[in-house]
Amino acid sequence: MLKLLIKYNTIVIFIVLVIFSALISDVFFTSINLSNLLKQVSGVGIISIGMLLVILTGGIDLSVGSLIALLAVTFALLVNTMILPAAILITIVIGFALGSVSGYLVAYQKMAPFIATLALMTIARGLGFIYSKGSPVTFQTSGGELMSNFGNESFLGIPNIAIIFLIIVLLAHIMLRYNVFGRLIIAIGSNEEAAYLSGIKVNKYKFLVYAISGALAAVAAIIVASRTNLGSPNMGIAWELDAIAAVVIGGASLNGGKGSAINTLMGVLILGLIGNILNLLNVPSYPQQVVKGAIIIFAVLLQRFEK
Amino acid sequence: MQNVESEYRIEMTGISKSFGVVSVLKNVDLKVKPGEIHALIGENGAGKSTLIKILSGVHQKDSGKVLLNGKEINPKNTHEGQVLGINVVYQELSLVKDLSVAENIYLHQLGANRFWMNWKEIINDANILINSLGFDIDPTAIIRDLSIVQKQVVEIAKALSEDTKVLVLDEPTTVFDPTDTKKLFNTLFKLKKKGISIIYISHHLDEIFKIADAVTVLKDGANTGSMPVGETNMDGVIQLMIGRELKDLYPVRTVEIGEVPIFEVKNLTAKDTLVKDVSFSVRAGEVLGIAGLGGSGRTETAKLIFGADRKKSGTITLMGKDIHPKSPVDAVKHAIGFVPEDRKEEGVFLSLSVSKNISLTNFKSIANKLGFINRKKEVQNVSSLIEQLNIKTSSRELAVKNLSGGNQQKVVLAKWLSIDSKVIIIDEPTRGVDVGAKVDIYKLINEVAKKGVGVIVISSDMGEVMGISDRIIVLHQGTVFGELSKEQFSEENILRYAIGEQLQ
Repeated sequence: MLKLLIKYNTIVIFIVLVIFSALISDVFFTSINLSNLLKQVSGVGIISIGMLLVILTGGIDLSVGSLIALLAVTFALLVNTMILPAAILITIVIGFALGSVSGYLVAYQKMAPFIATLALMTIARGLGFIYSKGSPVTFQTSGGELMSNFGNESFLGIPNIAIIFLIIVLLAHIMLRYNVFGRLIIAIGSNEEAAYLSGIKVNKYKFLVYAISGALAAVAAIIVASRTNLGSPNMGIAWELDAIAAVVIGGASLNGGKGSAINTLMGVLILGLIGNILNLLNVPSYPQQVVKGAIIIFAVLLQRFEK
Repeated sequence: MQNVESEYRIEMTGISKSFGVVSVLKNVDLKVKPGEIHALIGENGAGKSTLIKILSGVHQKDSGKVLLNGKEINPKNTHEGQVLGINVVYQELSLVKDLSVAENIYLHQLGANRFWMNWKEIINDANILINSLGFDIDPTAIIRDLSIVQKQVVEIAKALSEDTKVLVLDEPTTVFDPTDTKKLFNTLFKLKKKGISIIYISHHLDEIFKIADAVTVLKDGANTGSMPVGETNMDGVIQLMIGRELKDLYPVRTVEIGEVPIFEVKNLTAKDTLVKDVSFSVRAGEVLGIAGLGGSGRTETAKLIFGADRKKSGTITLMGKDIHPKSPVDAVKHAIGFVPEDRKEEGVFLSLSVSKNISLTNFKSIANKLGFINRKKEVQNVSSLIEQLNIKTSSRELAVKNLSGGNQQKVVLAKWLSIDSKVIIIDEPTRGVDVGAKVDIYKLINEVAKKGVGVIVISSDMGEVMGISDRIIVLHQGTVFGELSKEQFSEENILRYAIGEQLQ
């Protein structure tokens, strides 16, 4: 029994938090609150999946928060000048291309992931301010209206943007569990030298995970912009850290080779729940940060018992 | 008896040491006089390093006595050893690559007794020290930028202190060219004149006769002889090093060896390593042994063939066709497999399951075009390999780190067997593997050869390389120095070629 609790510690923490939240506040289990919670976590959730892929190879991607700002601004500008599907597609392609820059630097130039993505983080944030001239870009066309409707509506009681997030989680789960792609990136993170000497295209896969992380940042940017009806260069500040926290709470190892999409989803929900319940209890935001940090430490310490 | 004016600087008597059930040293003696260069020799695994580690305090002896200037000593760690004046320069260079020469030399003294760095003094002292060794190296240079010899000199300078009484050098010249070796010898002669006792571990027997005053030979953890150099010669020493009988460790080879080579390399020269002008061929079903001393370029040759190191010139031919593996990806495409020497760092994925380790090279046959894995096929494939190779694991899904060394090695082999490799290079097949699993692996190599695979085995264990090979090539300083057919197999012949001498 105890073994099972330790093995599924992420899920256990999640369930305990849900029960605790339900007991402590009668607003928690209302559909409005739950739907809000899901909407709030979807943006960070989507970049957490990209972060998971990068972390599985033993890397890190600090650029995703800033990419959201740049890409949300880009998306808002595009929406105002062209048809919606083209705007969506181009934004995602740009996200992929920006992620490719980190991927190229890490995989082919052997730059430390921390440094390469730190540089991109600064560049992206700067570009976001340049293109937006420092102020938010609002949707002005019918396409923008369509987008903002999508971002605020639900399907079968689940917010549309949460559905997008959950689909991405599911896709990642399938790719990691049942596809060669997942096997290979986990192998690279587990032992890069052995992977290389097994004839695996290590550089190609390392490049790809950063590119995918960039593309997912674009999806997150579109979703976040659609919720607020605008793209702002101030979006996504420190979200990369929340994403890293979610992945780590989900039991992934920063050394690579260990982690799963479902557990990352749990990590995202746990972080969201903490914020949600503290809000319901009217705890101000500074103490919230302290509690969040404490939970991260607690979750990672708990994972040690697995061994 | 308290004899301060003892004849010997170091007197180790009756030293025994076991790790678990493995007895590494049995009743070994080593006696070194002041101002003497004493060579300690023996095959790999003879116990040389363990003996030195007991002297310097890394390991504790199980029984026996160590006297320093006639007084019993018992260093519990290297620091105590250093305080007593016993300093060791290990085989693996232990310098901090990003610090300067001067900082490295005084690293163990920094912080202990001062808070501020006195750069001027440190640099000046380092300069004097290095000059006294007969070398001229800029004390402010960063270690990373130095040549290997220079690094070795810094290593010696670091080991030396005012109280050094005994200096141990563990295979210092493996990587040197002759002129550098000469320089190093001059340094050692200088130290010797100061009265420092030097214990010199080396595979290069010729060196020993140039510089040593006395020699002690170990074999399988026991003394086989100790004498002044003048009383013996190369043959005498080789006699003492070898002579072990080969038991039933090695399976009988009954493989039909093909007529023509399936794999051939000609005049292979590396861009970045010492490998030059290496030529050899392997026939289907043949096991080719590659022998040579540490640093003779065996692993480098393997990595070059496998595309992991860069080639400068030469040709590689597989089944009559020229191939140009520029990376392991290419090599694997040509069905060349490589089992690296450092299993944990380069061979297995410790945290992944047996199944995931084995499947890694073989997605073509177990996954569809979109990369989705057919679990049924995977399970079939993995299970049959586990059975075939007799891999002892409680489950396919058990992480490889829970397996013994021998079984981990089988997992690595299984990875290459699952793709029907045509040539498999195995670097040190049984390093860190217990005897039972060794036999398994030898049988396995036999089985693999039976399938018509050309097997290349690199091994430092002479018994092993003779026991399993059909033919042996011996590398010396990066090139093939000699080839031995089965009738010519003997440790003596291998050793002679390995040290760059012709057969008698």
